[in-house]
Amino acid sequence: MKTTEHIDIRCPRTLAEALRLQADERTRGTLLAGGTDLMVQWASGVPTPVRATSVWNLPEISAIEVCADCLEIGAGVTHAFLVDCTQVHRHLPALAAAAATVGAAQIQARGTLGGNAANASPAGDTAPALLVTGGSVVLASVSGTREVPLDRFWTAYRRIDARPDEIIVAFRLPKKGKAQERFRKIGTRRAQAISKVMAASRILVEKGRIQSVAIALGSIAPTPVRLSEVEALLAGQKPTPALIDEAEKLAQASVRPIADIRSTAEYRRWASGRLVRAALENL
Amino acid sequence: MAKSLPRIRRLVGQPFPRVDADGKARGTTRYLADRHYPGLRHGVVVRSPVPRGILKAVVPDPDFDWTGIVLATAKDIPGINVVHMHDRTMPLLAEIGGEIRYRGEPVGVVAAKTPELAAAAAARVRVEVDELPPLLTLQEAVATFKSAPARFDSMKNQDIVKGDLAHGFAAADEILEAEYWAGHQEQLYLENQGLVVVPQKDGSILAEGSIQCPYFPVHELNDPLKLPPEKIRVRQTPIGGAFGGKEEYPTMLVGYAAVAALKSGRPVKIAYERHEDILFTPKRHPVWSRYKVGFKKDGTLTAIECDFILDGGAYLTISDVVMFRGILHCAVAYRCDHVTIRGKVARTHSVPCGAFRGFGAPQAIWGIESHVDAIAARLGKTPDAYRLQIHARPGDRTPTGQILSKENGATDCLRLALRRADFARKLKQCSRGRLLKGQKKYYGVGLSFFAHGAAFTGDGEAKFKAKGRVELALLDDGRPGVDIRVSSTEMGQGVHTVFTQIAADALDLDPARIRFPLADTALVPNSGPTVASRTTMVVGNVVHRAALDLKSQIEAFAALRHFRGAAARLRGSRLVAQGGKSVPFAKVAREMLAELGGASGFFQFELPADIRWDQTTFKGDSYPGYSWSANVAEIEIDPLTCEIAVKRVCAVLDIGRVVNPVTAAGQVEGGLTQALGYALLEKIGTGPNGLYDAARLQTYIIPTALDVPEFDVKFVEYPYSFAPPGAKGLGELPMDGLAPAIANAVAAAIGVRLRRLPITPEAIHAALHPVSGGAP
Ligand SMILES: Cc1cc2nc3c(=O)[nH]c(=O)nc-3n(C[C@H](O)[C@H](O)[C@H](O)COP(=O)(O)OP(=O)(O)OC[C@H]3O[C@@H](n4cnc5c(N)ncnc54)[C@H](O)[C@@H]3O)c2cc1C
Repeated sequence: MKTTEHIDIRCPRTLAEALRLQADERTRGTLLAGGTDLMVQWASGVPTPVRATSVWNLPEISAIEVCADCLEIGAGVTHAFLVDCTQVHRHLPALAAAAATVGAAQIQARGTLGGNAANASPAGDTAPALLVTGGSVVLASVSGTREVPLDRFWTAYRRIDARPDEIIVAFRLPKKGKAQERFRKIGTRRAQAISKVMAASRILVEKGRIQSVAIALGSIAPTPVRLSEVEALLAGQKPTPALIDEAEKLAQASVRPIADIRSTAEYRRWASGRLVRAALENL
Repeated sequence: MAKSLPRIRRLVGQPFPRVDADGKARGTTRYLADRHYPGLRHGVVVRSPVPRGILKAVVPDPDFDWTGIVLATAKDIPGINVVHMHDRTMPLLAEIGGEIRYRGEPVGVVAAKTPELAAAAAARVRVEVDELPPLLTLQEAVATFKSAPARFDSMKNQDIVKGDLAHGFAAADEILEAEYWAGHQEQLYLENQGLVVVPQKDGSILAEGSIQCPYFPVHELNDPLKLPPEKIRVRQTPIGGAFGGKEEYPTMLVGYAAVAALKSGRPVKIAYERHEDILFTPKRHPVWSRYKVGFKKDGTLTAIECDFILDGGAYLTISDVVMFRGILHCAVAYRCDHVTIRGKVARTHSVPCGAFRGFGAPQAIWGIESHVDAIAARLGKTPDAYRLQIHARPGDRTPTGQILSKENGATDCLRLALRRADFARKLKQCSRGRLLKGQKKYYGVGLSFFAHGAAFTGDGEAKFKAKGRVELALLDDGRPGVDIRVSSTEMGQGVHTVFTQIAADALDLDPARIRFPLADTALVPNSGPTVASRTTMVVGNVVHRAALDLKSQIEAFAALRHFRGAAARLRGSRLVAQGGKSVPFAKVAREMLAELGGASGFFQFELPADIRWDQTTFKGDSYPGYSWSANVAEIEIDPLTCEIAVKRVCAVLDIGRVVNPVTAAGQVEGGLTQALGYALLEKIGTGPNGLYDAARLQTYIIPTALDVPEFDVKFVEYPYSFAPPGAKGLGELPMDGLAPAIANAVAAAIGVRLRRLPITPEAIHAALHPVSGGAP
């Protein structure tokens, strides 16, 4: 039996106030957004913190801004918001699709993009969709903001490139333009499922050739990963059946998944290639 | 002939609304967690940290502040340290010097003011064990059974023998042999296990909680608590689901709480959280079965040989009876003259397995229904035609020699399911490992056909003689009505509703005047546990007959009082007699309550006198009646990922008289959903530390609404005429046979038969892509 009653939860009204709290070790708290990861972790034995700083509903990080070439999505934006937003569907369809597979309606209403990314689970469903955009994370502290490319953001298992005094404020994600995006998740069941493997892709085919390609997988390594070898194989090529076969095999050869309660290493390895195939067929 | 009075609408057979719906929908129903107990202490069980060893010491940490906290251990047990169950071998709490037999075996109970404090204190009790090597899984036990049978540790053996096996195999043109496995399954009731034990001034105890069988603790804890049955009173709180999980287990939980309650002199509540509940309470028994079946070229079965081993866990508890039900369902649905079934309960160093909807039958049906399909394939026959050819019919003898009665919808179930599902046509669309024209996914359709023996096995009901009363009472609104007094418990399955319907019909009384209080052993006679699909069939009959008994008492009273001795009838909530003016039931009931102090109708169930059963040879009439069902499952497998989706399920069932078609269909859809989880999703293993590896909702995967297919549920009615209203047992049947129907559909889709449940995408992938050089 675990309660959260003893946690001193601060609810700042503005980002500036939140950043000030985080700047000082004596007032700094665990950042709490939707709580859908934290509450589960606390219930299953992770020690509860003394203080928490709620970033839920902070206005500065809860909106989506549409720029000329990119979407700037606030870290506090919920999965439900992503699923409902036509701009996200138009410009970042893989992210919209990924958000739609997170938990089910209740969790989507509460869980945030920032929380999903910061939690840094290899099974975080939005991570591959974020990765293939080639975008970046915007972090803020009292000393200013900095931008970290997404492919350097997840540094190790459950680790991110963020200092304790920093708050993720947004994701700056280039629009897909003429490229095609796809997302496919293999979960343990149809809803409320943690991924066994999932893949996102952004591929631009022009004049019959693959002009640019980004493919990312989750749940097959300590962090979400781009498949750079496969991308190199595909770049500039015609997406022929033979090439797709080769890409599938290369993906299977290049990943080193583990076995756990949800799946086997063999299946994950095989499925990684299958999802690469799914990204490439009928482009 | 007397002119018949106008016919009143009968409630039996009608979709009467659930009588417990209002409170549950509004949240006014008060479950254990909603109740307040003054002076309550919270109990936490202290458990063995290893799966096997000799218990050396249980030592409270001297650096911890134990003020106001009670630690009860085996030496605080007032009487003999044993829980009765079926073989009196399991201690209530492990003894110092005794053998620990499973990880998590209780060695003590801590009781403190708050659950947090109790948990903290329990963590500060050092449990010292000299470890011994454990045997953790059925896999290991079966390996021993095959390689060194003499060393195989079986807690119970039972054979069923019909005819002469050697003769049967000699007559066969062909023999097919295969093994079938299935793992544990967790009941996953919504409300976790929980109860409170309140010590009384006279030394007796009152236990109250989420208890499926209130009379079990009354008769199972007399030795350890040194209390006679009348000093153990058990009261049911509203139950948030049980599925068998709250059958035998709460008895132990009452024992743990009682030891701490008696020691502290205060009420002690033990309420598990989900993780502890999954880790340490009983599950469905894992099974290994080996079928060897001989058959002629025309398909006639000549011999069925089956070894059937259940994983009982560390103690027998009730596993013998689960195995009995298992072997009785291994070959009951098909014609065959020579049958030998050998049942065993393996001992492993794991949490004792227990009751779960189906009670051994799903494990048996999983094997035989897969095997029959495999034989059909070998013969080049279709699964439907083959089952229509060989299935058992009225007049046939079962493996125990029981002659199947005419109250048998087996053939109807099979034919109707095949027709409704358009099976023959769909069979032609099965992919068999190669996508047909227009198919994007592998498609398969599968069939299963099976019986479920209703009520206690053998002469259980004859010996038990379920008792029940229906009595006059003032209801909550102060006006008269009747109380149904039986020990059957509402767990969400709808017994309060169907018994209300049955009593209302028997009394011809407005159902609003019928109340069914929660079971309390001080107030209700023992109508038996709410198990074995027996409640509507057996106790429903008791309620019907007790209500008729009460009715005749009311009529006799009214005849004298209001009609000068003329025969009176209770009709439409009024007493009527020829020539007299009718009198309302309420008036007569008030008079009886005032003048006689009430009235009570009683009935004690008896089976027909010609029931024969031999408990040692397992010959005779193994069940009073059989329910029947056929399931058709349609599935798709994505060749890209091997993910499997069940698209449609058709279930046709003969459950005798359908008392309430809506609640019955709800039971069927719920049971089928549980069976779907068993077939495809619910995977739980044992780690080297002896703990289950999927002991949270995050890792123990049950179906969600999106995983559930379209259902087509239909009943055919062959009532059990001996016991009006004629129900035959429904609760377990929907859980019994969907897993093999799905497995058969998988085989039809990919052309490979899988013989281990659950059938996961990983398993399908492994079957389609065998590792070169590895095992096939
Ligand atoms: C039933 C259930 C089902 C789920 N299903 C899925 C699923 O299918 N797929 C999936 O990917 N996840 C799933 N999750 C996990 C979770 O819902 C998601 O990861 C969600 O996006 C987390 O967001 P949150 O706002 O709730 O995070 P929180 O729990 O509030 O926080 C998570 C972590 O992020 C940190 N954090 C939050 N906001 C910030 C910020 N602005 N800056 C820096 N750090 C921050 C927190 O400190 C914490 O470490 C599920 C959870 C549950 C309970």
